[in-house]
Amino acid sequence: MKDMENIEEMLNCYLDGELDERKSNEIQRLIDNDSQVQGLYDSLKRYKNLMDTVCQVPAPEGLCDNITAHLEREVLLADTPIYSLKAGRRHLMARRLMTAAAVIALAAALSAVIFDIFVPKSSRQQFLSSALRKKTIKQVLYEKPFADTKQQQDTKVVPQNYDVPFVAILTLKTNSPIEVDWFVAKALTTTNLFSQTTAIDRRAGTVRYVINCNNQSLAGLIQELSFIWPQCTDTKIAIGTEQTGKYIAINNISAQQAMEICKAENSGQRLRMANDLAIINKFTAPAIIDRQYAAADIDYDLLVSQKPALTSTEKTQIAGQSSSDFKNATLTIIVISN
Amino acid sequence: MVKFIQEQLKNNDANISIDEAALVAQAKAGNMDSVERLILKYQQRVYNAVLKLCGNSDDAAELTQDAFVRVIQNIKNFKGQSSFYTWLFRIAVNLTLNFCKKNSRVSFQTLDSEPDEEFKRQLKDYLIDKTSPQPPQIAATKELHSLILKALEKLDADQRAVIVLRDIEQMNYTEIAETLDIEIGTVKSRIARGRKNLREILEGAIQ
Repeated sequence: MKDMENIEEMLNCYLDGELDERKSNEIQRLIDNDSQVQGLYDSLKRYKNLMDTVCQVPAPEGLCDNITAHLEREVLLADTPIYSLKAGRRHLMARRLMTAAAVIALAAALSAVIFDIFVPKSSRQQFLSSALRKKTIKQVLYEKPFADTKQQQDTKVVPQNYDVPFVAILTLKTNSPIEVDWFVAKALTTTNLFSQTTAIDRRAGTVRYVINCNNQSLAGLIQELSFIWPQCTDTKIAIGTEQTGKYIAINNISAQQAMEICKAENSGQRLRMANDLAIINKFTAPAIIDRQYAAADIDYDLLVSQKPALTSTEKTQIAGQSSSDFKNATLTIIVISN
Repeated sequence: MVKFIQEQLKNNDANISIDEAALVAQAKAGNMDSVERLILKYQQRVYNAVLKLCGNSDDAAELTQDAFVRVIQNIKNFKGQSSFYTWLFRIAVNLTLNFCKKNSRVSFQTLDSEPDEEFKRQLKDYLIDKTSPQPPQIAATKELHSLILKALEKLDADQRAVIVLRDIEQMNYTEIAETLDIEIGTVKSRIARGRKNLREILEGAIQ
């Protein structure tokens, strides 16, 4: 079998004229003497003749033109500096970067348009003003006017482990009561104080919130509320004193000042601070706040839900309970429409 | 210019006296006339070989064009160790074989789907019964062309390449080995197996 394959290979070579003279003679002798080899050779020869008849197909019209046109285009592109030189590549890169920048600018412009359409004007102004104020918000608006020596006197007056509860009434007069009310509600939600709001009283032109929490939470709430200050035409805070019903009223109070009061370490410091701010903000102190509300036709009893400052043997702080858990502050926020 | 050269090539090759080495040298120097002459000289042979390998005239035209473009673009790298013709065919055949491998099923365009009975009988007489010499009416018929293309389609790509280069392109074994970058022994064995397979395919088709 293998021999037959070799003979067939040799016959093909002989047929194609690829054998040297000696091998050609050998194959020729084999063909002459072996009928099987002769038949195979004859078959190969006929096949070859048949293949020789396969005609050549003419090349498609314009093949040469297409090739030269393709080559010319390649040469032209290769010769164009923009495609081959570094400067050209830089130019292309610059164009790509410019395109990317244009796309980003377009996206920013679209975002601004969407912001303009969907965000209320007042919110935008607050957002912008808060962004502008951020740099100055840290400046100290209140400085301790007295040395700490006076504090020792306070500690003598106030029993140990007892502090007067922080009671305050924040009054916000505004031309946009709905927006301010919405912001107060939002601030309560943001600071998780909504659940600690013991009363919400909505009346025509007045909304009242009473919140029971600790001082630190109150400071956080005031910080959140600082956004609504620009919306208010008048801001006032009344800080409860050791005497029930007596308040120190501070007119034109800023959010930062209110926060400083909330952060006071104890009632003594808080009241001193309130006194000082009342004087600084040009308001007579102390004042009887309920008369002022009566003059404004507001029912004072509905505004305050405070405990008496001094009560029998009740302790302000239960042993083992952290100061942050203890709700020793009551803030009443009143939003009044002008 | 192209038409002029075509006319000259058709009418009288001797008048133009194309010296391949000189044309290649001029083409290397960027002479587009020489490039055109080289294309015109070989385009038909390359196209036919590619057509027999891939079986589709549109693909063959595109592959021929690609082959010439590559050859001309790289002509500066041609060192003359083989003939320009072999180098050109090597690029064209490799491109075509790669194309065939990517498009695994080669679809041959045939003129007629089935040869008629008279044609079959004549071809059978010629190939199997061996009782008659080659009748002139068999040769150069569309049916024979179609039948051979169909038979080539059924060969594997390597055997098809050697058969086309030898029996249609009339290359010798050394040129085939250079073109396909294989040993001469491999060329011999592939030719023997390819012809045997082709014969069996043709005989099967006319039974």
